[in-house]
Amino acid sequence: MTVALAVPDVIVARAQAGDEAALEALYRAFETPVYNLVRRILRRPEDAEDVLQETFLEVVRNIKQFRGEGYLWGWIRRIATTKALMRIRREQVRETESLDEEPGKPGMHVGANLDLERAFDRLSETSRAVVWLHDVEGYTHEEIADQMGKTVSFSKSQLARAHARLRRMLDEGAQA
Amino acid sequence: MMHCTMEDLGAVRAGEGSVWARRHITTCAACRGELEALFQRVAQLKALPALHPPRDRWPAIQATLRAERSRRRRTWGTWTGSLALAATIAAVLLVQPPRGEQGKLHAELNQAKQQSATLEDSLQQYDVDGRVLSGHAAALVADLEDRISMLDGTLAQQEHVTHGGDAALVKLWQERVGLMRELVNARATRARYVGL
Ligand SMILES: [Zn+2]
Repeated sequence: MTVALAVPDVIVARAQAGDEAALEALYRAFETPVYNLVRRILRRPEDAEDVLQETFLEVVRNIKQFRGEGYLWGWIRRIATTKALMRIRREQVRETESLDEEPGKPGMHVGANLDLERAFDRLSETSRAVVWLHDVEGYTHEEIADQMGKTVSFSKSQLARAHARLRRMLDEGAQA
Repeated sequence: MMHCTMEDLGAVRAGEGSVWARRHITTCAACRGELEALFQRVAQLKALPALHPPRDRWPAIQATLRAERSRRRRTWGTWTGSLALAATIAAVLLVQPPRGEQGKLHAELNQAKQQSATLEDSLQQYDVDGRVLSGHAAALVADLEDRISMLDGTLAQQEHVTHGGDAALVKLWQERVGLMRELVNARATRARYVGL
């Protein structure tokens, strides 16, 4: 999904003055792009909803600090990404690669039905984050490494591994 | 025959492929096919429909925001309330007020603190938690509340480092009285509009 969001300056100015209606307008303008971004990264919908809420709490608390350098979406997206990645780190226990390796798991809809979206859903959250941020949101490996607190080569190899998995899952799906 | 790894293909896609990988792609149909499939996967990912939040989270965000604002207001209520009380006690205990410039500042300081406390009381009448303030009034109120909060931060620091007669402190308190007066006016205007 490509986001081309422009919010009128007057709404931003009113939001910065604390106007609730303007703050809500910002929420309405960005709730879907933010949710979509974090939901693509996080496996559980309820986690994505929590991150959506945390992101906008930070937005409404700090909108005064937004100086208009760069687009508002860029600023909000960075907050959302940081929070989603923090959640992955915090719950690293949940982060198992095993799901990727269990094509036969019941209820996973493997076989001919396995389209790209389903295959993507079965990647680990770290892999999802790297693929989504790089391939869809257009982050560079440097930016991903910076936000994840990892190295550039980690980001590059994660991306390659994730694509190799996607390719394999789709291949298996096509043959079934 | 050696083929490109996924990492090689990713590098080629980014225009950073090794000489070997770039040359290999031109001669190997299998690897060209893999590269094409990579491009297609990325295009498909970009074309996925947006996922919408299943529930409206704005009410929860709004409730938190309102609770924070009202907590902030109550915080200055108690803080300045105890200061005003201290000022009153000090004024009563002061049998011989300091003379000259120092005495004048001292009196001004007490006056500002008491005005501030009185305005704080008036504000309680207009305490409109839960009542919807919108548009210009809400923006003005929020801005004034923020400025008073910031000023209170400065005042809290100043109170520790200076004694009662400091000119800077008097100026800060007078500034606070000015902001409080505007805030009471903003609330009162709004209250008239809704017929209170
Ligand atoms: Zn090849």
